[in-house]
Amino acid sequence: MRNERPGDKLKAIWHDQPTEMTAMTSKLIQMRARDLRAKTRKKLIGTIAGPIAVGVCYALGLWLFPRHASMLHPLFLLALGWSLCGLYFLNRAMWSSVVPGDAGPLTGLEFCRAELGRRRQLLGRLLLWSLGPLLLSLGTFILAIGLSGTPGHSLLPNGLPFLVLTAVWIVVYFGLRVKEQRELRMEIEELEEIGRAAG
Amino acid sequence: MGGKSTISSESGRQDSLYREAAYEFGPALERLARAYEADPEKRRDLSQDIHFQLWRSFQSYDGRCSTRTWVYRVAHHVAASHVIRERRTFSKLVTLEQVEQLTDRGSAMAAVQQQADLDRITGLIQLLKPIDRQVMICFLEDMDSASIGEITGLSPGNVAIRIHRSKNILAKWFHEGKNHEE
Repeated sequence: MRNERPGDKLKAIWHDQPTEMTAMTSKLIQMRARDLRAKTRKKLIGTIAGPIAVGVCYALGLWLFPRHASMLHPLFLLALGWSLCGLYFLNRAMWSSVVPGDAGPLTGLEFCRAELGRRRQLLGRLLLWSLGPLLLSLGTFILAIGLSGTPGHSLLPNGLPFLVLTAVWIVVYFGLRVKEQRELRMEIEELEEIGRAAG
Repeated sequence: MGGKSTISSESGRQDSLYREAAYEFGPALERLARAYEADPEKRRDLSQDIHFQLWRSFQSYDGRCSTRTWVYRVAHHVAASHVIRERRTFSKLVTLEQVEQLTDRGSAMAAVQQQADLDRITGLIQLLKPIDRQVMICFLEDMDSASIGEITGLSPGNVAIRIHRSKNILAKWFHEGKNHEE
């Protein structure tokens, strides 16, 4: 008896569940729109963090190591320019997302694939345009520490914990992001395979 | 003047389409939100997001598919986006094939045996990747293969296979859970 049309019983349980009704009043719609704008603003502010961090490294590097300014300037300027260009590319990647409300004509398969692809692209751009310049500026900073180290008063031993921590952070962060990218790629491939089966 | 009246009639159409959809599919959308989010606070937020995006979507609704298909597509898109954002990737989620193996081993049953019938079903659905989740929810909402195919983009044959699997898995999962409780 138990195995007779199990779906029906489950459907009945599913339909009998208590539900709280949500209905959007014009006030709620305005509130949601405001929330959405605030979220977007927050994301945009988040992308400024990269150039700010590079700028801090730049200023700190020149303040601590004025003797090497002529060598540090071009490297820091390159990092700053790189991260400022990154602002444009990161923002472009964020704006290219399809809002679910505008994706009614897309099927679930198409939307999921696009959303995962967008996330993967954004992650790649974050690594290239945000982490890249940060690494360059940190590298320049570390180079300056190394150059300042003299047998008499070497800065390197004092900067060693900082160097180790930075290296560990970079390796862990990079590893996690690359793993995430690989997982996203696998998900996309899986969906593509389902899509091919769907014809 | 004419432009203004066109805009207001467009927005009136959008509002009335939304109101009708919210009235007709409101409970189904709540069930869908429950299937995607276990946390009540986040679920309320997701539910409001679904309604907001739905209202927004009717701006571009041209009637090329049925209202039901449109509503479910948008709702699933919002919910899938939520899953991608919350879990970052689907790596912790599983496919129907993997759930079949889970129920065979019965190892996952222990985790849900104490829960109520509904929690058992939603618990299972929340394990699934978005596409399988969409098929399962649509099946429980009593949709036929063609409608499910229209919403998910899967072929009718693929939908039929997945529904067959869903039925078996649900029955097995459900009954094994019952047996554990007895």
